[in-house]
Amino acid sequence: MSKQNENSMGPERHPWVSSFLEGWSIFRQNLLGKIGLTLLVMFALMALCSYIPPWISPIYDPMTGVDPDITSCSGPCLRHWLGTDFMGRDILSQLLAGARIAFMVGISAAVMSIVLGVSIGMTAGYMGRFIDTLLMRLADMIMVMPTLLVVLLLSAVFGQLNIWTIVLIIALFRWPGVSRIIRGQTLSLKQRPFIEAAKVAGASHFRIIFIHIMPNVLPLAFLFMTFRVTSAIITEAALAFLGFGDPGTVSWGMMLQWVWKTGHMFQAPYWLLPPGICISLITLSFYMLGRAMDEVLDPRLRKEDQTD
Amino acid sequence: MRKGNAMSVMNPSRKRPCSRWVVILACAAMLITGSLFTVSPASASNLLKMGLLQEPKTLNVWRASDRWSRKVLGLMYQPLYVRDPETLKLIPWLAAGPPLFDEKTLSYTVKIRPAKWSDGTELTSEDVAFTGRFINKFKVPRYRSKWRFIKKIETPDKQTVIFFLKEPKAIFVSRSLTTPIVQKKEWTALIEAARKTKKPLKKLLNEKIKRPVSSGPFVLKEWRQGAYLYLQKNEHFFGTGKKIQGRLLGPYIDGIIFKIFGTSDASILALKKGSIDMFWWGIQPGYIEDLRANPDIALFQNEKSALYYMGFNVRKAPFNDANLRRAIATLVDEDFIINRILQGYGIRMYSIVPPGNAFWYCPDVPRYGEGLDREGRIKKAFGILSDAGYSWDAPPVDGSGKVVKGEGIKLPDGSPMEKFTILTPPADYDPHRAMCGMMMQEWLRMVGMPAYSKPMAFGALLQQVKLRHEFDAFILGYGNLSLDPDYLRNFFISTNDKRRGWNMSGYNNPHFDKIANRSASEMDREKRRKLIWEMQKIIIGDVPYIPLYDPKLIEAVRKGRFTGWVQMLGGVGNIWTFCQLKPR
Repeated sequence: MSKQNENSMGPERHPWVSSFLEGWSIFRQNLLGKIGLTLLVMFALMALCSYIPPWISPIYDPMTGVDPDITSCSGPCLRHWLGTDFMGRDILSQLLAGARIAFMVGISAAVMSIVLGVSIGMTAGYMGRFIDTLLMRLADMIMVMPTLLVVLLLSAVFGQLNIWTIVLIIALFRWPGVSRIIRGQTLSLKQRPFIEAAKVAGASHFRIIFIHIMPNVLPLAFLFMTFRVTSAIITEAALAFLGFGDPGTVSWGMMLQWVWKTGHMFQAPYWLLPPGICISLITLSFYMLGRAMDEVLDPRLRKEDQTD
Repeated sequence: MRKGNAMSVMNPSRKRPCSRWVVILACAAMLITGSLFTVSPASASNLLKMGLLQEPKTLNVWRASDRWSRKVLGLMYQPLYVRDPETLKLIPWLAAGPPLFDEKTLSYTVKIRPAKWSDGTELTSEDVAFTGRFINKFKVPRYRSKWRFIKKIETPDKQTVIFFLKEPKAIFVSRSLTTPIVQKKEWTALIEAARKTKKPLKKLLNEKIKRPVSSGPFVLKEWRQGAYLYLQKNEHFFGTGKKIQGRLLGPYIDGIIFKIFGTSDASILALKKGSIDMFWWGIQPGYIEDLRANPDIALFQNEKSALYYMGFNVRKAPFNDANLRRAIATLVDEDFIINRILQGYGIRMYSIVPPGNAFWYCPDVPRYGEGLDREGRIKKAFGILSDAGYSWDAPPVDGSGKVVKGEGIKLPDGSPMEKFTILTPPADYDPHRAMCGMMMQEWLRMVGMPAYSKPMAFGALLQQVKLRHEFDAFILGYGNLSLDPDYLRNFFISTNDKRRGWNMSGYNNPHFDKIANRSASEMDREKRRKLIWEMQKIIIGDVPYIPLYDPKLIEAVRKGRFTGWVQMLGGVGNIWTFCQLKPR
């Protein structure tokens, strides 16, 4: 009631803006969401700051920069806040560059898998019958495949994969879960009167799916995206750690692989711990964000005082 | 139902089947675990426990190409001559004395020591002759090149064997006579079966040898695949109690257990805990400080006769241009690789022959980029490429002579240089080479070359490079180069540019071929040295390979249980150690 009054009194807002503001007010009350968002902002800042060290001096280039005075693994000092790796490369610079890669991999793979999952889910749910069966059986088949194992096999067969191939493969293996949820939602939406109305008005299937159904399933898709980011980051890190990452990128998994393969696992905690902690925290932050989004999007999960 | 309940309450025997099963299962579990402990000889105190990174692939000596199989087989199949650990000169092993060369008949006469196989039968000249004939008859891939010039082999008596050569061959003693000798009896039956098949060699190479008949200090007792391999002392070993080169031979230990660990971390942990006495593999520099601080562990540092190098596919563009290869040789910073990636545990290579092989090593070869810093290297490489007609969208050296990021390099014909890959083994196989590839990628990109480092599984890499010739550049290594430099000829002679051939780069230079063939036939050591030097100069001038480094080998053993480790080129894991190691 009060909202209606607000709307009638203030300047008229786009419905998406209003729903965003409403969601934001619920999100602000969620502690997990706030922690997750803070962590995420911190990592985003790290990713942005990754461009600064090489600009200060070439010795801070995460891949090729080496300190001329340090030729082995060394602990934190004024010049290298987190120390150097076995070649004398700055660990902080690598950590910052790793944040950029984590965001790139996580978000790209998640967006790709969501686009694929939403499109397939909506098509299957809306078209039904043979197409539904075909797409969902395909989803089932992909869902049961162990992603990491398949990527490892592909790496073994085709040699080292570059970072975009890894992103693509992760996306190709992560859409079935999304498509199943979206299909369920589409099946329910399909029975609503506004879809019937659109059909009567002569709207094409394409228009119904992408203009009428999609806006209603998008919030759910965004929610799943946060979880997909987490799994993409972990998969990439695992691949890199096992030696199947892109050797041309400095990712956190790659850092862990270097510390392991050069025999510094138990000798250099200042090299081992930062990438490990960062992987844990970034996945945790996306998970927390996802939980908070879940609450925002699903009224059944809200506390009493949050519902109106 | 009620009856059943009553029965079970009243009659305690109803419970017995259950408890019986428990007892049976418990006994079975005890038997299984107990048998593991009793069968496992690891508990015996007089056994040497060795850690291996991987399991041997085969015990068929003709098939064994992986180093794990060869390490184990090297303790069973013995050659006529071996290297002295100090002088590195060839000394008689199964042979009783040095080979006698008859210039007129182009023949070598070798006398055999009185020796026995592990099954108690006599090792005679027939076995030696059989080995040579077998290699030639079936064209055994790994050994054929060392025996193809033998015209015939005669055995006038049990202890004498005469090798007649088709032509003089300098490598005969150092390469042919160091081939492991197999038992005629063991292989005759297998040959009969193989002859009945369409591809006898394939059949022989695929033969699973479960109990190799050994002439060495140890013989196979048991191999539990995936768990351990147990070699027992060979009671018939010819060297037991004998003095060879002033060294009294044993073996003094009852046997060797090889445990398979899979990773260096696990192996080193086992070494620190005392589960193994030695880890038979080079230790990464990262572990050294920790191991050095451990009072129970001794570290050995030895040189290797090895060559780690970057190779090019000179059969096709862009690497068919020697100027481009020279420019890359200038850009590659070997000092960086040795000081940073190898942490100083390596020797810089200027030529294909390691500098430690002083007699054959030619110091007078072109030294690309020596003493230059990164900017100097880029400027020099830019000069080489510009003079050869290469151009850039954005040259790596601008008008004022300042080094900038180069972009869009174009070949002398004006076409853009296409993306190329540098294949390396993966980091879990060899982190050094994987890291070298990564650094080279970055160094080459600085001058605008579209280089991509691509670590790939070792087997797949070899297939691509050696079999299919589908590659641009690669980083590989020979971890155990022979001291005779005949490999120079093998690596670069044009007749070896074939599928599975040793000339992986596809280098083709008729002038080089001529000198290489002469070097193989030249029996005068000084004259041969001149030819070998000439060959090194040609190769380093044309750079089909860029020699990178010869790593130093660091090995770790436990101090407490055994004494008598013999250090030599290639590390302490050598036949002399295993024949002389004594329990404390």
